[in-house]
Amino acid sequence: MSLSTALKTGDVTALPSRRDEDWRWTDLRGLIRVLPEAAPKFEGEVAAGPFAGLTDGEILFVNGRHVATSGQGEVMGLRFVAATEKASQAASYALVVEPGASLTLLESHEGRAAGYISDVALDIAVGEGASLTRIVLVEDEAEAVNVVTASVDLAAGATFNQTVLTGGARRQRIETHVAHPGAHAQVRLDGIYLLSGQRHADQTTVVTHGGVDGVTSQLTKGMVADQARGVFQGRIIVQPGADQTDARMGHHALILSDKAEIDAKPELLIFADDVACAHGNTIGALDEEAVFYARQRGIPELEARAMLTEAFVGEVVERIEHAGARQIAAAWVAKQLGRSEEGGAE
Amino acid sequence: MLSINNLHARVEDKPILKGVTLEVPAGEVHAIMGPNGAGKSTLSYVLSGRGGYEVTEGSASLNGEDLLELEPNERAAKGVFLSFQYPLEIPGVPALTFIRTAVNAQRRARGEDEIAAPAFLKLAKEKAASLKIDFEMLKRGLNVGFSGGEKKRMEIFQMAMLSPKFLILDETDSGLDIDALKIVSEGVNALRSPERGMLVITHYQRLLDYIKPDRVHVLAAGRIVASGGPELALQLEAEGYDKYAGAAA
Amino acid sequence: MAAVKETIDTVAALEKYEHGFTTDIDQEFAPKGLSEDIVRFISAKKDEPEWMLEWRLEAYRRWLELEEPDWAKVSYPKIDYQDTYYYAAPKTKEGPKSLDEVDPELLAVYEKLGIPLKEQAVLAGVEGAPRYAVDAVFDSVSVVTTFKKELAQAGVIFCSMSEAIREHPELVKQYLGSVVPTSDNYFACLNSAVFSDGSFVYVPPGVRCPMELSTYFRINAKDSGQFERTLIIADKGAYVSYLEGCTAPMRDENQLHAAVVELVLLDDAEIKYSTVQNWYPGDPETGKGGIYNFVTKRADCRGDRSKVSWTQVETGSAITWKYPSCILRGEGSSGEFYSIAVTNGHQQADTGTKMIHLGANTKSRIVAKGISAGKSTSTYRGLVSAHPKAKGARNFTQCDSLLIGKTCAAHTVPYIEARNGQSVFEHEATTTRLSDDQLFYCQQRGLSQEEAVALLVNGFVRDVLQQLPMEFAVEAQKLVAISLEGSVG
Repeated sequence: MSLSTALKTGDVTALPSRRDEDWRWTDLRGLIRVLPEAAPKFEGEVAAGPFAGLTDGEILFVNGRHVATSGQGEVMGLRFVAATEKASQAASYALVVEPGASLTLLESHEGRAAGYISDVALDIAVGEGASLTRIVLVEDEAEAVNVVTASVDLAAGATFNQTVLTGGARRQRIETHVAHPGAHAQVRLDGIYLLSGQRHADQTTVVTHGGVDGVTSQLTKGMVADQARGVFQGRIIVQPGADQTDARMGHHALILSDKAEIDAKPELLIFADDVACAHGNTIGALDEEAVFYARQRGIPELEARAMLTEAFVGEVVERIEHAGARQIAAAWVAKQLGRSEEGGAE
Repeated sequence: MLSINNLHARVEDKPILKGVTLEVPAGEVHAIMGPNGAGKSTLSYVLSGRGGYEVTEGSASLNGEDLLELEPNERAAKGVFLSFQYPLEIPGVPALTFIRTAVNAQRRARGEDEIAAPAFLKLAKEKAASLKIDFEMLKRGLNVGFSGGEKKRMEIFQMAMLSPKFLILDETDSGLDIDALKIVSEGVNALRSPERGMLVITHYQRLLDYIKPDRVHVLAAGRIVASGGPELALQLEAEGYDKYAGAAA
Repeated sequence: MAAVKETIDTVAALEKYEHGFTTDIDQEFAPKGLSEDIVRFISAKKDEPEWMLEWRLEAYRRWLELEEPDWAKVSYPKIDYQDTYYYAAPKTKEGPKSLDEVDPELLAVYEKLGIPLKEQAVLAGVEGAPRYAVDAVFDSVSVVTTFKKELAQAGVIFCSMSEAIREHPELVKQYLGSVVPTSDNYFACLNSAVFSDGSFVYVPPGVRCPMELSTYFRINAKDSGQFERTLIIADKGAYVSYLEGCTAPMRDENQLHAAVVELVLLDDAEIKYSTVQNWYPGDPETGKGGIYNFVTKRADCRGDRSKVSWTQVETGSAITWKYPSCILRGEGSSGEFYSIAVTNGHQQADTGTKMIHLGANTKSRIVAKGISAGKSTSTYRGLVSAHPKAKGARNFTQCDSLLIGKTCAAHTVPYIEARNGQSVFEHEATTTRLSDDQLFYCQQRGLSQEEAVALLVNGFVRDVLQQLPMEFAVEAQKLVAISLEGSVG
């Protein structure tokens, strides 16, 4: 059951549906009746992406096809552009970070057309002692469907830091699987989702600790307004014998309207005993007292709520180490919040 | 300047203000004292427009303009400033950013130009120095990690930056030691002017040694039961609130 | 006090699984297997009215169409539904009219278990101690209920389901199946067709039930399944505290327990439902034998400001699958779930709760403590959801797992669904193990390893133990300690 299988075979019944435990809150089968034609090769200019100017080089995919790779260095851009309306596209990319090397991947998913269906599969290997920072900025179009699945394999002593920033789509799933060897490797999986209108965003992560001495830290913060829906599924598996695993997960969300929804499933499957594992999940609304305080100082309500929401997700932005990417992220958050239709329930 | 007429208000169906009438002319400082539960904080919340408080009768206006129909930020733009008894912490929003946002929001509402960054910073440094606030603290989240006294000083700082027309100080002295009290009072006194009015709400007379009022009113059981000059405060300190306990039933 | 003290003494006097003895009592069996005829047989044996038989038959027909679910993280060999007795009752001439008429062997069994069937024994208990009214169920049949007269004076009806169907049909018709409908799930459906007996409680408006009500179940017959059905109704402003306790003998074959418990609460009503389970857990070496425990327990807080609290201590059974849930319908209603689940040997537990917030300003609180040892697996599975109309819904959940040893597992799988902008949900889960330092510290102070484990485990489950009626808490502590014997070292 996967979107990529459905796109390959043209068989709509291969789409995951809410009967599939893992997809209960992100139903593709119920939404997509007919799979659209594959997008044609795109002939034309592609405007610069959101991380332009920060990268040493860029790998560009348009309509699912690899179009160009230019430059190289420690900061690379990876762009997936959807340029054709109501078409389907499937892309896959493999990345290897050599032992001891260091790479910052600024990945963007850019929806430049309406109603496309996109599937992206990434295969990532981080070598011994190497470090990969992956910042994923997802800007899909409101009627689009996008599934991005990354499988990350880490070697001993590797470091993997990821931050996903998404504004959702008609239906969207950003999925990350990490094979964590323990062995002093460190993983950080962070995310921000800011959803309004009728958008949907699903962030699903699975971290499997297979060996002794590994650290995983996760912080996801989100906001849903209007009739949007945010989904968070974070699974941490600690295999038998994976002692001295330290795995912590936090998911905190704000619901700003009475028609919005948050679904969360922070899961711990623990088979070893000498571990420190915890997860925390909170869902609530903005502190009304804080809203009144800001308003009493003259800040109009919508602006006050946007300011407080920006502060709320700011903690995740602050964790981005790459200064340039952090600035882009902060600017993106500010823009997303300025665009929200409703500020909250009154 | 501030005109309150027969104001009745309730919280969750419980009547708290039962007919408050009060005039504070421009240039004057009026103190409101009273026993706990009298409605002092309720009065400040109703005037500033906090949710959960329902006005059932009466009116309140500033310079002839009705206040009660306006949103809290609209009242702020008209010049109302409430110094909170328990100022909030807003992690993630630097104090300077918060205040600049507020200053510009009020200016826009009044049709004025926004303040330019250099001018804003200059003003902020000036006012911070006069209130003995470490400027670096203003780059941190608003009130995060501040002691009670520091939070109250931040309220006065915001007052100085926003230059309001009418100040409501809600138990500004609670939680302050003598030194903090002096600094806060100096800051408030520095804002006195013929165009400004102030309502100082306090339970204890001590604050009024430093912020000398022109008039003192006693609020008990939801009504003003006594009014007088500054000596009324001294009388209250000596005698307590007992004689007003049964007054306004 | 007397009842539980006797239980504890009995427990202390026996080795290993104290209740693992069998009794040879004359029993009457329906033929093995399940069919419409068996359903009719059961209904006829109980002398049920026509409407009850129809209800059962409809459930049986529905069951034939359902498929056995398999999504829990438990694995069990397929249950052969045709290889089970669905009805086993001690042979008696008619219903017992007084304790003197009950089979003395049967009474001896209950005495051995420390159950206060003899009213004198209870009355002779410690002064001021709460008394228990007890309904004793031996295999499929409720044998006798104590204190009925006194309860009747307060207006409280406490009797077996069979009796309620005969004596209070209006109440049964009105509420049976209204909280757990027949087709709710596979095992509830099976239960609706062949339920044998259980307890029925009705507390009239404004009445605080004068004593705690309790049921002891015992599965004795070989190859038999136990399908009890309990219905408790608390009318407006009523209060009742109910305790459920169970035991079973050691057997090679697994035995099936598929129960349904329905709780109905009207305005301002309160029900406290506590369970201390101690089924046979299966041979610790092989896992054979033991009980399959599939239970559907649900409380419907229909009334405003109604309050229900589920407290459970699970320390046995080969496979447990139960999710006591609360439907928080009435405004201001609240649900609580406190649970200790201990697994050892080869046990598997998949348990948790569902809190469904439908009404405004509803509250729920979940404190679940799981302890796994040996080669066991303990899973907490919970659902907290707030409907768009459930404004002001508040939930606090705390799930903690304690792992003892390297071959066990503990899982936490919470589902959280919030659908309005005015709910506040907080959930925390942690996983820990017994610290070697702490164990050594205790031992250095003179405690044996067993005592040290018991002490530390007690600290871990304290929050939940505090929710149990005092006597039950003491019993629960002992059971937890016994279940973990041999788990360290």
